[in-house]
Amino acid sequence: MERQIINKKKRVFSVEPNKIPPSEVFTRKYTRLLVPALKKLNMNKNSSQANQLTVKHEVDMALALSAQEFAWSRFLLQKLSSSNNPTTTTSSSSNGIRIQKRSGKEGGDEDGEIEEKLRELQKLLPGGEEMNVEEMLGEIGNYIKCLELQTIALKSIVEDTT
Amino acid sequence: MGGESNNEGEMGLNHGHDPSMPLYAKTDPYFSSSDWDPVVNGGGFSSSHYPSVVMDNPGMSCFTHYQTGSGYPDMPASLLPFGDCGGGGGESVGRLMRAGESHDQVLDDGVLGSSPSRKRRQAEAESQRNKKAVEEYQEDTQRGSDQNQKKHKDGQNKESSQSEEAPKENYIHMRARRGQATNSHSLAERVRREKISERMRLLQELVPGCNKITGKAVMLDEIINYVQSLQQQVEFLSMKLATVNPEVNIDIDRIIAKDLLQPRDRNTPTLGLSPFTSFHGTIPNISTTANPQYNSLPQTTLESELQSLYQMGFVSNSSTMSSFSPNNGRLKPEL
Repeated sequence: MERQIINKKKRVFSVEPNKIPPSEVFTRKYTRLLVPALKKLNMNKNSSQANQLTVKHEVDMALALSAQEFAWSRFLLQKLSSSNNPTTTTSSSSNGIRIQKRSGKEGGDEDGEIEEKLRELQKLLPGGEEMNVEEMLGEIGNYIKCLELQTIALKSIVEDTT
Repeated sequence: MGGESNNEGEMGLNHGHDPSMPLYAKTDPYFSSSDWDPVVNGGGFSSSHYPSVVMDNPGMSCFTHYQTGSGYPDMPASLLPFGDCGGGGGESVGRLMRAGESHDQVLDDGVLGSSPSRKRRQAEAESQRNKKAVEEYQEDTQRGSDQNQKKHKDGQNKESSQSEEAPKENYIHMRARRGQATNSHSLAERVRREKISERMRLLQELVPGCNKITGKAVMLDEIINYVQSLQQQVEFLSMKLATVNPEVNIDIDRIIAKDLLQPRDRNTPTLGLSPFTSFHGTIPNISTTANPQYNSLPQTTLESELQSLYQMGFVSNSSTMSSFSPNNGRLKPEL
């Protein structure tokens, strides 16, 4: 963690901070975190089953560590440190039921549905349930962005190795 | 007069916009920073999209969006009146007012704010219109009585009226009360809803294919599905990474080897010769990874040849790829 902070500081000093798009910063951080972690994993590889979980764990950990400016990353780190099994996306797959579009006919109902959907969204975001709705909506924005960057980085890593 | 009131109204709207910026920026600096380009178009969530967006006039802002109201047959009744505020504000008020020409007065008064000042302005306006003084006065009293009635009904009318155009506020409160419990409660809720709608608009730009969607519920659906799909994608990719790992093993080691063995190449000929001789028939076990080509080489390879072939090995001929797998077990102890 300290090294990360030092690295962060180094980067800020060496390159003008305003010129680096945050997406690039994130991607760089992410790949720099993930690839060595994966290498370490490969050294200690046991069974493939355990490997999947630990890879996921490392993936999530790298995500959380690369995005420490955001509130959801703290919650993600907490989750990861408390349990070794990553719980972030497993919940999404269990909630994979597509939410049906219901157009509320009455004013009260529509508001209730919206509330319900906001709660669904809160469940998706790590730590979303601890935030209030407005904050959560803001955090969802950068969570989405980081997820997108993460998928791009993962894709390139996977392609690189196959 | 109408034009004036509209201008004042817009100015009031824009003026209300500024104090809200730091509010939002406080909670989310990255949304307001210009660096985070993908998240926000052109930096800041401000005026580029919503020229007349308002934070302080909660009754006004969100509903410029819903102004046409065509897509919302199911919008709560409380919201509909607001929808008219932007353009056809006069019309809605005109509906409420009994006389058509009085809506100008109402707009003026509304812009100016609280009820006492409104009554003052009404009096001034009345004095200006001498011909229709009687009618106006009658209108005024009617209006005044109506307003008083509403004031009694809605306890904290003044607070809300200061932030919005008051007479409209009064009348709209009548309608709004259907969906909302008390005035103070509704006011806070309205502010909250405003914030939520603003952020949802930002999210709309983030999530692909949501530009045409208008409507909170559908938008939320899309966002939820998008986040779920992203998370599933990450999960899938990490699983793929896990399964690919056995071969990744080699590559990562190769990457490590590439870095580490460059200085070590000096030593390899001495080391490499003995395994090379012993494994002559099999795949050579020289420290460099992808070089089964060594099979065909003469045993007395010099260091330079080793290095050049080391580099050539990375061209990875398809014929030699098959020999990769047996290298699995061998390479690890080498490295």
